[in-house]
Amino acid sequence: MDLPGPFPVGRYARKLEEEMKKRARVQLMGEVTGVGRSKKQAFFELRDREGAVPCTMWLDDFERSKLPDGALRDGVELVVAGGPDYYRGGSQASPSFSFRATHMRLAGEGDLLAQLAALRTQLQREGLFELQKQLRRAQLPKTIGVVTAESGAARRDLLAGLARRGWAGTVIWAFAPVQDRRAAPAIAAAIQDLAARPEVEAIVVTRGGGSLADLWAFCDETLCRTVALLRVPVISAVGHERDSTLIDDVAAAACSTPTHAAEAAVPLDCVVARQGLQRAALSLRRSGEGAVGARARHLGALARGPARALQRERSSLNQKIREIRAASERGLAERSRFQQRITTVVLRRARQRAVERAEAGLGEGQRRGAAIERSAERALARRRQVLERIELTLRAHDPERTLERGYALAESEGGEPVASAAAAAAAGTVRLRFADGRVTAGIEGDVERET
Amino acid sequence: MERLEEIIDRLDSGQAGLRETLDLCREGRELVNYCAAELDAVGEGLKELKLDELAAKLDSQAA
Repeated sequence: MDLPGPFPVGRYARKLEEEMKKRARVQLMGEVTGVGRSKKQAFFELRDREGAVPCTMWLDDFERSKLPDGALRDGVELVVAGGPDYYRGGSQASPSFSFRATHMRLAGEGDLLAQLAALRTQLQREGLFELQKQLRRAQLPKTIGVVTAESGAARRDLLAGLARRGWAGTVIWAFAPVQDRRAAPAIAAAIQDLAARPEVEAIVVTRGGGSLADLWAFCDETLCRTVALLRVPVISAVGHERDSTLIDDVAAAACSTPTHAAEAAVPLDCVVARQGLQRAALSLRRSGEGAVGARARHLGALARGPARALQRERSSLNQKIREIRAASERGLAERSRFQQRITTVVLRRARQRAVERAEAGLGEGQRRGAAIERSAERALARRRQVLERIELTLRAHDPERTLERGYALAESEGGEPVASAAAAAAAGTVRLRFADGRVTAGIEGDVERET
Repeated sequence: MERLEEIIDRLDSGQAGLRETLDLCREGRELVNYCAAELDAVGEGLKELKLDELAAKLDSQAA
């Protein structure tokens, strides 16, 4: 081997110690674990997700740091100042490496915020804030998963929020510690287990308010990356309004309270929806029946139209028939009265003659008188029948009847009928005879031939 | 629900003919029935399950 040495190990150890002590003094931040104490110094490990450094601190320095009693314990976030140190040991003592802290304080909000800001920038740059927000969220999920502490107001508030929404589906609880070193991995595991169940349509992660240090688990990089890549929408409701954890940034929706988370998990207000649905059903029924009803009424009206027209025509016809009948009865009555008068006169004369003859020859006369009277009656009946027939025939030809129907008869000044247009044109003046009288009419112009 | 609102607006406008009205009414009724079934599914009482117990059940079934 072509290397320098071999050197005595003690000398090398001393050199190493000197080199270490020359290194720059820095501040470190991390979570405390494995706290212990000897007569002269305190020792612990400072750790985060990427690694750890063993630390030692002289008790004198520790006293000077004025940490509250019991502040140095497992799980606390600390900031220490100091540099690397190597104890070279001795012939009997074991060597050891440690970060020699000279100053120590609890990590404050500012330290955490700075760390959070750096992580936030990184995740955002990787596009992890957008993935969950692109997921489709069910308006009315039937099953939701909830990650929260088993005991706590958050659980109660969430249930109250769901009840107010009128939602009573299935909730799968995944209880996990929500504050300390074990919290972040437990929450991440719970979320993944819930997402693995096909019926879970949304996952709510919630806990009550607290300091940023209390909520630090929800800023865990691994947890937040898990949430960002999940295919089920996650709704976060961690802390109160003013607290902004990293999980709020990567989640599909971030809410300020568990009650709001209930609203985000079930976007549809079931109470309002049920009322709306009832109204819609009613409105639909009304519209459907209304449309059919209105059209049925319209059709009914249309169907009654012809019947009404028919009725109108029928009553007008009836009226005409009544008028015609009345007119014919008037004519018949007049003629019948005339007939009766003639008959009465003839009968009276016949009877007169019969009486005279009867007076001439009594016995024979009386018989003949009776025979005459019978035959007179028969003759009268026969004549009446004949007259009626004649009257009907007459009526058919009677120009008066024609005039009654609205025709006019053109006559010359002398009362002769004018039967042609040529005759009328030649006469120059005609008398028009109507049913109710006559008027004189002058003829103008020439004959217009019917075409 | 949005489609339902649309249908009712159209019906209320009175501009739909008989054929369209009847079609809209049928579609509306189907939607109402669907939504009612969905709402009924989350209206029959809250059911609470615990993930641990579900997981344990799965494990015992597998075993």
